[in-house]
Amino acid sequence: MDAIFVFEQLLNGLGYGLMLFLIAAGLTLVFGIMDTMNLAHGSLYMAGAYVAARVHEASASFALAVLVAVLVTVAVAALLEVLVVRHLYRRDHLVQVLATFGIILIADDAVKAIWGVAPLMASTPAALAGPVQLIDGLPYPAYRLLLIGAGLLVALGLYLLVSRTRVGMLVRAGASNRQMAEYMGVRVGGVFAFVFALGAALAALAGALMAPISAVQIGMGEAILIPALVVIVIGGIGSIRGAFVAALLVGLVDTAGRAFLPPALRAVLPPSVAADLGPALAGIAMYVLMAAVLTLKPAGLFPARA
Amino acid sequence: MSLFRAQGLVKRFGGLLAADHVDLAVEQGEIHALIGPNGAGKSTLVNLISGLLPADAGRIVLDGVDLTPLSAQQRVRHGLARCFQIASVFRSDSVRDNLLLAVQAQAGSSFRCLRRRESERALMDAAQALAERLALTEVLDRPAGVLPHGMQKRLDVALALAARPRLLLLDEPMAGMGPEDSRQMIELIESLRGEMAILLIEHDMDAVFQLAGRISVLVNGRVLTSGDAAHVRGHAEVQSVYLGTEVPA
Amino acid sequence: MANPVSDPSRATVQTAAAHPQPRLAVRFPGLVRRLPWLVLAVLALFPLLAPLGGLEYYVGFVRRLLIVAIAAASLNFILGYGGMAALGHAGFVGVGAYTVVALVDAGFSSAWLAWGAALLAAGLCAALIGAVSLRTRGVYFIMITLAFAQMLYYLAVSLRTYGGDDGYGLYTPLAMGAWLDGAHPDVFYWVVLGIAALVFAAFGRVAHSRFGYALRGIRDNETRMAALGYPVYRLKLAGFAAAGAVAGLAGGLLASHNAFVSPAIMHWTQSALLLVMVMLGGLGRRWGAPLGVALWLTLEEMLKLYTDYWHWPLGLLLLLVVFRAPQGLAALFERRDGHGGAR
Repeated sequence: MDAIFVFEQLLNGLGYGLMLFLIAAGLTLVFGIMDTMNLAHGSLYMAGAYVAARVHEASASFALAVLVAVLVTVAVAALLEVLVVRHLYRRDHLVQVLATFGIILIADDAVKAIWGVAPLMASTPAALAGPVQLIDGLPYPAYRLLLIGAGLLVALGLYLLVSRTRVGMLVRAGASNRQMAEYMGVRVGGVFAFVFALGAALAALAGALMAPISAVQIGMGEAILIPALVVIVIGGIGSIRGAFVAALLVGLVDTAGRAFLPPALRAVLPPSVAADLGPALAGIAMYVLMAAVLTLKPAGLFPARA
Repeated sequence: MSLFRAQGLVKRFGGLLAADHVDLAVEQGEIHALIGPNGAGKSTLVNLISGLLPADAGRIVLDGVDLTPLSAQQRVRHGLARCFQIASVFRSDSVRDNLLLAVQAQAGSSFRCLRRRESERALMDAAQALAERLALTEVLDRPAGVLPHGMQKRLDVALALAARPRLLLLDEPMAGMGPEDSRQMIELIESLRGEMAILLIEHDMDAVFQLAGRISVLVNGRVLTSGDAAHVRGHAEVQSVYLGTEVPA
Repeated sequence: MANPVSDPSRATVQTAAAHPQPRLAVRFPGLVRRLPWLVLAVLALFPLLAPLGGLEYYVGFVRRLLIVAIAAASLNFILGYGGMAALGHAGFVGVGAYTVVALVDAGFSSAWLAWGAALLAAGLCAALIGAVSLRTRGVYFIMITLAFAQMLYYLAVSLRTYGGDDGYGLYTPLAMGAWLDGAHPDVFYWVVLGIAALVFAAFGRVAHSRFGYALRGIRDNETRMAALGYPVYRLKLAGFAAAGAVAGLAGGLLASHNAFVSPAIMHWTQSALLLVMVMLGGLGRRWGAPLGVALWLTLEEMLKLYTDYWHWPLGLLLLLVVFRAPQGLAALFERRDGHGGAR
C-alpha cells in the first residue's frame, strides 16, 4: 500500500462522493422544504442513466446524451409532481413512503418494458476513454476526472443558487420555516415544483454520468437511494451544505473501507476470518458512520431547522 | 421549610436566556401564582420544573428530595404533576380511556400485557371517581378531541390529578376560556386548595388575585419579586414593566 | 416524522378522507365478529380440501402467507400501536432465519429449539438496536433502523460459512418431534397455522392490556405520557424487542419453509414491503397485517401467472390506497369511525 494507491483511492472516493451529492442534493431539498420522503428519487437517477446510455449509443455524442437525459427526466419528474407528489406534501411520512414505493414499482416495470431486463453496457465517451498522467506513476482515467470536475461545478452552482438568488432565498426560507414562508406570501406551490424539477435534473445528471462506470440495470435506483438517504441524514435534512460534506465523507469512507480494510485485516487476523470480515466491515462502514453521527448529533451535522 | 424549592435555574436557547438564575419556593398547601409578560419565560420554567426540558444549571427540590437528576416521569412519581397551556389530551380516545391511561400510570406496572384492562375493577373505579370529581361523567364516552375547549382543559387537569401530586403545575388553565368556563376552572382550583400545593401560571389577573396566596413576578427570565397580592400590586417596578403594559380585563 | 398530533393540518387531511359509507361491521355485526374463527376453520381444512380442487400447490403458498403475516403483525404492533416507524424489520426476520442456519450448520436438528433460538436471538438483537435507535425521532428513527438492518444484511453477505451471497440450503427438514414428523405431509402447515393463530391472539390480547394502551398513548402524545409518569423509553423498547422477537420467529419458520436462507430476505426492499403490506391492510388495526399480506401476496401470485410485468399493478394499487383508502382495508371492518384509529 503506497502513497500513489492511497491518492488514487482518495480520488475515487471524491468522485463517488460528488455523484452521491448530486443525488442527495435533490433528495434533501425535497425532504427539507416539502417535508416529503421521496423514495422514487432513485428511479429518476435510473431514468437518467438509461436515457443517456441509449442516446449516447445512438448519436455517439455524450454531451447530447447527458442533455437529453436531463430534459427527459425533468419532463417525467414534472408529470410525477403534478400527478402524485404534489398531493403528498401534507401527508404523513409513512403515506409518502407507501406512495413513492408504488412509483418505484411502476418505474421499474416501465424501464423493463422500454429497454428490457438485460443490463445496458454504457460506454465511456471516446475522447475520455484513456488515462491521464496525473503525477508520476499514477495514470488516472480521464472520465473519472470529468466526474470530479462536473460534480464540483454543480456543487458550486448550487451553492450560488441557494445563497445568492431570490429562488435560493425562498428555498432557504422554506427549509427553515415553511409556514412562515407561506404567511409571507411565497408562492409555495411554484417553489416546490421548481425544487422537485431541480432535484430530478441533478439525479438525472448523476445517472447519466455514472452510467459508463456502473451497471445500468433495473434496481440501480433502489441501490443508490440508500447511500443517498444516509448522506442527507448525516448532513442534516434540508441542508445543502450538510449534504455536500456528508456526501464526501460517505464517498471517502465507503471507498476507503473497500480499498484499505480487507488488506489491513489480512495483516492482523487469520486469513479465513479476514476474508469473511473484510467485505462486511467495508459494506457497513457508512452505516456505522451514520449511527455514530446520529448518536452524537441527533439531527445531523448541519441541522437546517435549528 | 418549603415544600418545593427551585434554586438558580438557568436555561439558554442560543443567545436567549429564558431562565436566568430563577429562585422560587412554594409552601405546603399554598396556591402560588407566577405572572409575567409574554416571553418572560413562564412556560420554559414549567418545562424545567416538570423535567420536559433539561436545565443548564440549578437545583429542584420537592419535599427534601432532589429532583434535578430525575426524568419527567420520575418526577411524577415523586409527586410533581402538570397541565399544559394547550390542553394536552389524547384526542382520538374517549374521555374514559384518557382517565384510565392517567390512572393506570400510578397504579401498578404498565408492562402488564396479558390481562385485559377492562377487567381491572380498581382502575375503572378510580377513573370513574376522577370523572365525578371533575364533572366529566356526562362525556365519558366521547372522544376527547371533540369536547369543547373548557372541558378539554378540565380533562387535562384531571389527567394531572390522577397522579395525586403534592405540587401541581398549572400552565395557564384559563387560557382562551369564556367567562363561564373560567368561573368553573377557578372553582375547581379553589376546591384543590389545601389538598396540594399549586404553582399557577395565569394571565387572568382577576383569577390570580382571587386564588393566589403569594405571587411571583417573572420578567426576562428573572424573578422580579415575590409576595402577597398587596405587595405585588404596590411594587413600583412591577407596575412599570408588567401591570402597566397589560391591563387586567 | 413529525408528531402527527402536534400537526393538526395532517390530522384533518386524514379524518376528511375517512370512509363515509356504512361499514360492513355495522351491517353484519355477527358475521364480522365470527369471521376470524371462520377463517381459521377454513385455513385448517384447506390442506384436506385443496386436492379436491387441484390446488395442492397453494398449500405451500398459504403457508408462506401465514409466515409473512406473522412478521407483518409484529411490525403492525410497533408501528400501528406504538408509532415506531421502523424501516428495518426484515433485518430481524433475517436474524431469525440465520439463527436456524447456524444451529443446523452446528448439527442441531430440533425445529422447536431452532425456532425458539430464532425468537430469542432476534429479540435480543432488537433490544440492542432499539436501545440506540429509540433515542432518535421521526425520520431519523426510520433511517437509523434502516441503517442497522443494512449492517445485518452486509454481515450476512460476508458470512461465507453460510454461503454468503449465494445463501444456505437446509437439506433435511428440522425435526418437530416424534409423532409430528411424517404423520402427514402437511403437518408443518398446521404447525405454522397454530403459531400464527397464537401470535394473533397474543397481539389482540396485548392491544387491550395496560401495555397496549400505554403504547398507543405514546404513539398519540408522547410528551403527555412522560408528564403522566410513564417510563416512555422503556415501554417503547419492550415493544420494539418483542416485535423483533416475533419477526425472528417468522424468520425461523421462513427458513424451514424455503429450506433455504439468503441475505435477500433482509434486503431493505423487504423491510419496505412489510411496511407497505401493513399499511395496505390498515395501520394499527387488529386484522390489518394479515389482510394486507393476503391481498398483496395473492395479487402478486396471480399477476405472475399472466404477465412478466406484475410490479406496476401493485404500484398502482399502492397509489390507489394512498389517495382513496388511506386508512387501509381493515377500516372497512371497524365497528365505528376512529376506533383504534390509525393515526
